[in-house]
Amino acid sequence: MRRLLTFGVAASLVFAACGAAASPSPGASAPASVAPETPGGSPEASPTAAGFDPNSISGSVTLGQWESSPAERSALASALAAFKVTYPKITVDQQTIAGDYRAQMITRFGAHNPPDIFYVNAEYAQDWIDQGFLQPLNDYAQQQGFDTSPFFKDYVNIFTGKDGTIYGLPKDGNTIAMAYNTDLVSTPPATLDDLISTAQSLKGQGSLKAPLCLNPGLDRGLAFIYAQGGSLLTADNSAQAIDAPESKAAVQWYMDLFKNGLGMTASDMGDGWCGEALGKGDAAIVFEGGWLLGYMQSSFPDVKWAFAEMPTGSSGSKVTISYTAAYGIGVDSANKDQAWVVMQYLTGPAGMAVWTGGGIAVPSRTDVPVPAGFDVIVKGAAYSKPGSGFMKGYNDVQKAFQDAFTKQITDKTYSADPVVAATVDAINKALSQ
Amino acid sequence: MAGAAAPKPGARIGARQETLAGYALVAVPMLFFLVLNIGTFFYAAYISVWKWNIRTGPVEFVGLRNFERILTDPVFQSAVKNTIYYTVIWVPLTMAVGLFLAVVVNQKIRGQTAFRAAFYFPAIASSAAITMLWIFLVSPYGLFNEVRGALGLNPLFQFFGYGPNENWIGDYRAAMNTVIVLNAWTTSGTFMLFYLASLQAISHEVYEAAAIDGADAWQAFWRITFPLLRPGHFFVATVGVIGGLQVFDQAFIAGSPNGDPANALMTIVLYLYNTLFIQINPGYAAAVGIVLFVIIFTATLIQRQLFGRTPGW
Repeated sequence: MRRLLTFGVAASLVFAACGAAASPSPGASAPASVAPETPGGSPEASPTAAGFDPNSISGSVTLGQWESSPAERSALASALAAFKVTYPKITVDQQTIAGDYRAQMITRFGAHNPPDIFYVNAEYAQDWIDQGFLQPLNDYAQQQGFDTSPFFKDYVNIFTGKDGTIYGLPKDGNTIAMAYNTDLVSTPPATLDDLISTAQSLKGQGSLKAPLCLNPGLDRGLAFIYAQGGSLLTADNSAQAIDAPESKAAVQWYMDLFKNGLGMTASDMGDGWCGEALGKGDAAIVFEGGWLLGYMQSSFPDVKWAFAEMPTGSSGSKVTISYTAAYGIGVDSANKDQAWVVMQYLTGPAGMAVWTGGGIAVPSRTDVPVPAGFDVIVKGAAYSKPGSGFMKGYNDVQKAFQDAFTKQITDKTYSADPVVAATVDAINKALSQ
Repeated sequence: MAGAAAPKPGARIGARQETLAGYALVAVPMLFFLVLNIGTFFYAAYISVWKWNIRTGPVEFVGLRNFERILTDPVFQSAVKNTIYYTVIWVPLTMAVGLFLAVVVNQKIRGQTAFRAAFYFPAIASSAAITMLWIFLVSPYGLFNEVRGALGLNPLFQFFGYGPNENWIGDYRAAMNTVIVLNAWTTSGTFMLFYLASLQAISHEVYEAAAIDGADAWQAFWRITFPLLRPGHFFVATVGVIGGLQVFDQAFIAGSPNGDPANALMTIVLYLYNTLFIQINPGYAAAVGIVLFVIIFTATLIQRQLFGRTPGW
C-alpha cells in the first residue's frame, strides 16, 4: 500500500515538474520587497492574507544534503513528493553531497555557490553563523507569519545568533536514550546507582565484552556530567564550569566505568559504533538516539531490545542531551525565495510529518505526531540540553576532552584531573576567540 | 629540392621552427604549472598573513601572527612529530621491501609477470578501500590478532605491552605504527617498479666480470647492485620523503579529521585540513601550508647533499 502511495506521489511529481520548469526564477530578491508585512496566518493561509505568499512563488531550487542511509533517501523523497503536490510551481533539484559534507560545503561557500537550501548540523551551526555563510530568516518568517514557537526551544536556539536572528529551522531532532538488551536486562536501571549494580551483575555474562558500550568523549559523556549536576559551561555560557567539583566528580565517575570493566569503547570491542555492539551482543546497554531503531530493524532484526529514559543521577532530575540539524539558506544562494518555500514546508507541521513518518528521524516540533517506536526519544526532548552547537569552536573542546580521556584509559591511569585541565584550556581558548 | 640547394639557411630556419614548436608545446603545461603550482603558492603566502574569511576575503592583517600561533600550538607540534616519525620509519622500510621485491621479480622465474602484477596491485587499489580493509584486519577481534594467537606469538606481543585483543588502530601507542605497516605494504609495489627500472639499467657485463672474479650472489648484490642503484635510491628516497611528509588519506580515514586516538594520527596535512574545514580559518591553514612547504623543501635539499648533486636519471 505504502509503496503504491509513494509511486502515486512520485508520478505526480514528474508531471508537475514538467509544468513548472518553464517558469522563470524570480532570483534572489529579498522578501522585504514583495509586499507589506501582515501579521499572523499559517503557512497555508490564503494567498492574499500574507505578506509573503509561498503559493505565488515559482522556479527551481537546489537542495544539498548528506545521506546517511537508503532509508533517509526514501524519507526525503516522500517529503519532497508531498511538497510538489502542495507547491507544484517549484521544482526541487536534490543534490546528495557525498564524502565530507562539512568540507565540501565550505568550498561551496568559498566559491559563492552554495545550494539554495541545505542541511546545517548543530555541531558547526554557530561557526557558520559567525562566518556569515547563512541567510537570516526572520524577515521571511515574519512576512509569511510562520510561527516558530512549536519548535523545541533548545533546537531553535542552536541556529539563532547572539542578537536573536534565526539562521536555520530545525528539520528534526534526537535525544540520547538508554537502549538495552531485554534478554539480559529485565528492568532498565532508573538511576545511575542502579546502572552500576546492573552492570556489575552483567559483567562476564555470555558473550558480553563489557556490560556497557561507552564513548570516550563528550558525545555521550556530557549527558552523565549533566546527570550529576556538572556542566561544561556556566549557566550563561560565558565561562567554563568543568573544573567545578560536581563536574570533575562526574568525569571521574564516567572514567571509573572503564576502570572497573563495566564499560568499553565500541572500537575496543571491535565494533564500528555502540549500536553494532548492542546488535552483536558485545554489550547489553548502550546510549544512543533514534537512529538506532532503523539500524537495529535492518541489521539485527532478531535481537530483542528496548529504549528507556536515561538513568537519573545525583542531580535528582531527568536530563539527557539532544542533537539536531536544520535547513539553512546561503547568503549567496541564488533562489532564496524558492528555498524559503521549501524550508517552511519541510519544517512545517505537514512536511515534517511526512519526513519523520519515514522512520529515521524524530520531530523537532511539538505539533507533529510521534512516529512509532520513538516515544522515549521525544520524551527526552522536554528535558534535554543540547549535546552540541551551544558554543563556537566546540569541536576543539570535544577533541581536547576526548584526547586526554583516551590517553587515561589506554594508559590505565584513570585520573580525571588531566582531562579536566585540558578541557578547561580548550574552553577558555574557544571562548576568547 | 630547396633544402638540398641551400642546406645551411634551410637548416637554420628548420631549427628555429623546431625551437618555436618546442616552446609552444611546453607553453601549455608550463602555463598550468605556473598558475596552479607557483601561482597558488604565492597566493597562499599572501593569504597566510591575514585573518581571512573564505567567503569575503581579507578581514584583518595579522602579519606573522598565524605562524607564531602554529609554532606554539601543541597539536601542531604533535603533527610535526608524527609526520617526521612516519617518514623516518616508513621511507627506509618501504625502500627495503620495494628493493627486495624488485630483486626477486627481476630473477628469471616462472610467473614473473604475475608476481609483478600481484605486488603492484595494492598501489592501484583505492587507498580508502584498502585502509578500511586494514582496519578490519587489525581490529581487536580481527584476523591479525586471531592468527598471532593461533601461532602462539602472543607472549612476544605481551612483552611489548600489547594484549591478545590489542586495538591496533584505536590504541594511541600503536596507531601510527599500524598505519606505517599498511602504507609500507601498499606503496612497496610502486617502489619495486622504480627499482626494477634501475636494476634493468645495470649492465650484465658487470655481473659477468664479478662472476669470473668468484663473487657469490650476496657479494654481487652488496658490492655491485646496491651501489649502482644509487640514482634509483635517490629518486625513490626523494619521492618517498615528499610523499611521507604529505601523508593524509590513511590517517584521515583511520583517525577522522581529529587525528584520533589522542592525536596519534594527527599529521601536518590533516592538521591543515582540520584548520580549514573544521576551524574555518583559511589564513591560518595557508600558513600551515607554507610551513609544510618549507619542511619539504629543506628535507629535499638535505637529501641532495646526502645522495649527491647529480643524480643519473
